Amino acid sequence: MGETGKEEYRIQSFDAETQQLLKTALKDPSSVDLEKVANIIVDQSLQDCVFSKEAGRICYTIIQAESKQVGQSVFRRSLLNRLQQEYKDREELRSRSLQAWICYVTFICNIFDYLRVNNMPMMALVNPVYDCLFRLAQPDSLRKEEEVDCLVLQLHRIGEQLERMNSQRMDELFSLLRDGFLLQEGLSSLSQLLLLEIIEFRAADWKMTDAAQKYYYSEVTD
Amino acid sequence: MSFRQRSPHGGGTSSSPQPPPRWSQGRKRGADGKRRKQNGTDSSVFDENEHRPSDNRLDSFTTPEGPGPLSRCSDWGTAVEEDEMRTSVNKEIARYRRKLLINEFSRERKSSSGSSDSKESTVMVELETDEVVLMRRQKQINYGKNTIAYDRYIKEVPRCHRIPGVHPRTPNKFKKYSRRSWDQQIKLWKVALHSWDPPTEEGCDLQEISPVDLGEMETESIGSNSTESQTSSQDNDDTYSGTPTKVRHVDYQAEGEFDLEACLSEPLKDFNTVS
Repeated sequence: MGETGKEEYRIQSFDAETQQLLKTALKDPSSVDLEKVANIIVDQSLQDCVFSKEAGRICYTIIQAESKQVGQSVFRRSLLNRLQQEYKDREELRSRSLQAWICYVTFICNIFDYLRVNNMPMMALVNPVYDCLFRLAQPDSLRKEEEVDCLVLQLHRIGEQLERMNSQRMDELFSLLRDGFLLQEGLSSLSQLLLLEIIEFRAADWKMTDAAQKYYYSEVTD
Repeated sequence: MSFRQRSPHGGGTSSSPQPPPRWSQGRKRGADGKRRKQNGTDSSVFDENEHRPSDNRLDSFTTPEGPGPLSRCSDWGTAVEEDEMRTSVNKEIARYRRKLLINEFSRERKSSSGSSDSKESTVMVELETDEVVLMRRQKQINYGKNTIAYDRYIKEVPRCHRIPGVHPRTPNKFKKYSRRSWDQQIKLWKVALHSWDPPTEEGCDLQEISPVDLGEMETESIGSNSTESQTSSQDNDDTYSGTPTKVRHVDYQAEGEFDLEACLSEPLKDFNTVS
């Protein structure tokens, strides 16, 4: 695979032995314990936010490789079921480690983004993803900058798709965000800014307008 | 600008327009198979008994022959696999309909120019569109196709060289057939495919595969055979002695009812016609 492969899949953070395992999984999936590989990937994404942001990519490649090689979906199934396990215990995960919770949300959204089924997003993940975002929109989470940051990042990446799958829940989510922006005590000004930006972003049909780009993202020229 | 008091329940207050009825209204069972309380509101994310199903699909369904509502499994792995099968089946039915239309048009053109009649009378007949039925049929077809025999067959006899009546043909899941008729077609088709089983070692009916695969496969065969319930019990002898299974595409949940008695009482077609 080489260096570009490493970077593309962000597997530098794994130890050498695990990196080798992953590389083999990509090239010759039937020769490895795919359930183990799935667990390794999920474990890592709960610890390493850089990895979880793009972990969907390596998962997608392994799934394709396995499907092509043996026409099975052991890896995908293990991955999803493990993801589901963590989802069920997410409240506990969050109280245990905010960082791990944020990593988890990043990961599941990335999976939703990358893993498609016959070119359609995975229906089974739509509500769980929404549930996670709703959780991030709760008052105690809005008070934490890292959670607000995670929330708006995910909405930037998958908001449009998510809305297409279920617009009612997106409406409900944004009601919460509006209220949060207006009423929530203890919001840092950065959090307020992030919320305002995402509200505008969605109002502009999930597109960046020039005015918003200028306001939120350009250097202030005095 | 009025600020509404937001409660955790996402259903909205009286000032908001009534949201469209959730799919879950009227469903007798939740995704985990347990009966739902017959209240109007759906649980929010933070309810204690949080049973929000992980997708928007019906969480239970009834087949006419079935004993009652069959609850769908609620694990994501299987849910996605079923999704995949459903979308594939839908694509196939669209493609099949197009094919029928094209045949229809080309036949009309031929007959209007006075040439000979075409093979079959595919006047627009009613197709099988029941998703439950199509999925079940597709699973049965997949079992037949996930065999070494089938692999060898399609390699040996490309479709263009098939002789009808001689070479086995996959039953058409989009045509309307009774359950009994369909199951019989599948059985005969699978039996016919045995002609392409790889040559066996002396006396041993189980096909030789690499040791590693065999280990995995046995678990799979056993698992899937038991979940396939009576559907393959009749084929049991065939399945173990003659139909080696390659790795399967998916692990399937239990099938619906199968009229074993009916199948047993039906006379088998003449085996001699199968080469």
